[in-house]
Amino acid sequence: MNLNRIEQARGLRIRSTQDLAGGVFMVALALGAFFFAWDLPAGTLRQLGPGMLPKAFAVICGGLGVMLALASLRYEGEALSGWSWKGIFFALGGTCLFALTIRGFEIGPVRVPALGLMVAGPLLILFSGLAADDRKLRELAIFAVAMSAACILLFKYALSLPIPLAPWLLGI
Amino acid sequence: MEMFSHLALGFGVALTLKNIALCFAGCLVGTLIGVLPGVGPIATISILLPITFGLEPTGALIMLAGIYYGAQYGGSTTAILVNIPGEATSVVTTLDGHQMARQGRAGIALGTAAIGSFFAGCVATLIIAALGLPLTRMALLFGPAEYFSLMVMGLCFAVVLARGSILKAFCMIMLGLLFSTVGTDLETGQERLTFGVASLSDGIDFSVMAMGVFGFAEVLRNLESPEARDVVKGRIGRLLPGWADMKQAAAPVLRGTAIGGILGILPGNGAVLGPFASYTMEKKIAKDPSRFGKGAIEGVAGPESANNAGAQTAFIPLLTLGIPPNAVMALMVGAMTIHGIIPGPQVMTRNPELFWGMVASMWVGNLMLLVINLPLVGMWVKLLQVPYRLMFPAILIFCCIGIYSVNNQPLDVAFTALFGLFGYLLIKLGFEPAPLLLGFVLGKLMEEKLRQALILSRGSFYTFIDYQNRPISLALLIVAVLILVIALLPSVSKKRDEVFTE
Repeated sequence: MNLNRIEQARGLRIRSTQDLAGGVFMVALALGAFFFAWDLPAGTLRQLGPGMLPKAFAVICGGLGVMLALASLRYEGEALSGWSWKGIFFALGGTCLFALTIRGFEIGPVRVPALGLMVAGPLLILFSGLAADDRKLRELAIFAVAMSAACILLFKYALSLPIPLAPWLLGI
Repeated sequence: MEMFSHLALGFGVALTLKNIALCFAGCLVGTLIGVLPGVGPIATISILLPITFGLEPTGALIMLAGIYYGAQYGGSTTAILVNIPGEATSVVTTLDGHQMARQGRAGIALGTAAIGSFFAGCVATLIIAALGLPLTRMALLFGPAEYFSLMVMGLCFAVVLARGSILKAFCMIMLGLLFSTVGTDLETGQERLTFGVASLSDGIDFSVMAMGVFGFAEVLRNLESPEARDVVKGRIGRLLPGWADMKQAAAPVLRGTAIGGILGILPGNGAVLGPFASYTMEKKIAKDPSRFGKGAIEGVAGPESANNAGAQTAFIPLLTLGIPPNAVMALMVGAMTIHGIIPGPQVMTRNPELFWGMVASMWVGNLMLLVINLPLVGMWVKLLQVPYRLMFPAILIFCCIGIYSVNNQPLDVAFTALFGLFGYLLIKLGFEPAPLLLGFVLGKLMEEKLRQALILSRGSFYTFIDYQNRPISLALLIVAVLILVIALLPSVSKKRDEVFTE
């Protein structure tokens, strides 16, 4: 979006899907925040209540979103481009696997035992490594083990962070 | 001279064996991570934040500052050797630096950058030491209203100086402010926007957000396209610039230091502006401007000095006023708070060892960079050849372990992934995430000061523009309005576009 190169409006059309989506995104966030802050008392100017600022910021965010969306009808800009679904699935999935296994987890009937860094580390590297197009499975497996070992040495022993290694095997 | 006795105190702290070692380690790992293409100082600091948790505050801050310089300098190395700027401040270095590298003068380019940075760092350290005391005294006169106005001005600068669209930068700052309201209300104890999630009652964790939005989102973006890295093959060549090169680089270094040092103090993202301004200036006053873009040494010396000077003077608002001028300093605030230090004018009086030790260690850090980077440049080149398919899982595991060890909470790791997705969405929608972080950090401070000011004035907004009792507050707000107006005036913003697209 560029505020300066004002183009002669030749009919309304979407000149930047990126900005339009950005505007809609801001409005959606603002509406969500306003909805959830609804119950909070705004208070008075003399004594600001907990709801005053969240609501005020939400209103401003929404207003800016509307402006951005409207601007996308008038000013040339970028279009939305492709997404890295593979990256989202594998890299973020690997992170979630780490979160689930490092100290165990329990949601309803699903129960993951605490596996510690010795398992969670290689798991994270192996799974997220699949996101790369030029992955080589053997290289990745070796790297997963070596990198995890290096991390254990660095974080657990050199920096002595309290991180479980393998409670099921070593009890630490 | 008061300044020198303070510096002496600082060097006494900084030159203990332990702190030298920490500074060295910080610079080394900072360079190590910062040299990776696509990992700028913000991501580097967020990734490495956890390794300082175990240290006592002074040591931790010295190490963090070292990490910052290392990351900043690592970005220049990548810019010169791979033509990928680590972050906005090294964009201009790619122009002539990479050309020099292609002509077989990579070593000279790196050497010039290092020497220029070192000189700029020395000067900037002195500036900080000189300005520290008077500015702190001034800050102690500030009431809540002045602080609030100052932060408003800072955010306005951040909007104006952000890259890309002003409207989008505005969006990000407001979103950051909105995020800052999540958590328990300090006065009434009521939970705000926490959705009943227990770990949100303390607010959104700062490191979770920074690592997600900067670390993870960057990984996702890099995974989009198969990498094309243009690592300079062949010899680096000798590192020390010869007499002719030195002579050519000396004046640009001086000018770059001055420009960068002044712009770095600006709230908003002043440090980014320095290299651009320096490059433009060198090109304007050069006898033969056509050499620029084809490997002119002035195009490396000036911007690199400006870069480093600005990176360092950016500490001034943080250390004296407690207000972070840019996203990196916002990270520093986060780090300081984790160590139980509230940045601001009180730090200098309450913890003089910490304050002056950190200032002195800045100079030590700059010396370290010179010592680390020049001899080890071969190692950095090797590191640049590590394929991304292995690099990003390594970044992820560092982030995961780091986030986990902040609170020993696995849920934080999952939240970081969520913020990673959010950050990626922001990138896709063309939003720059740095102002978000700045708004987030300033939001908490602003709310506190706004409340105090309004309570003191019995609910009257007039207190912010009361020219008789609060001239400073009024002046700051006028400056804020002025820069916004100037930025929105067509002719100036056209120039701004030119500066940022060049």
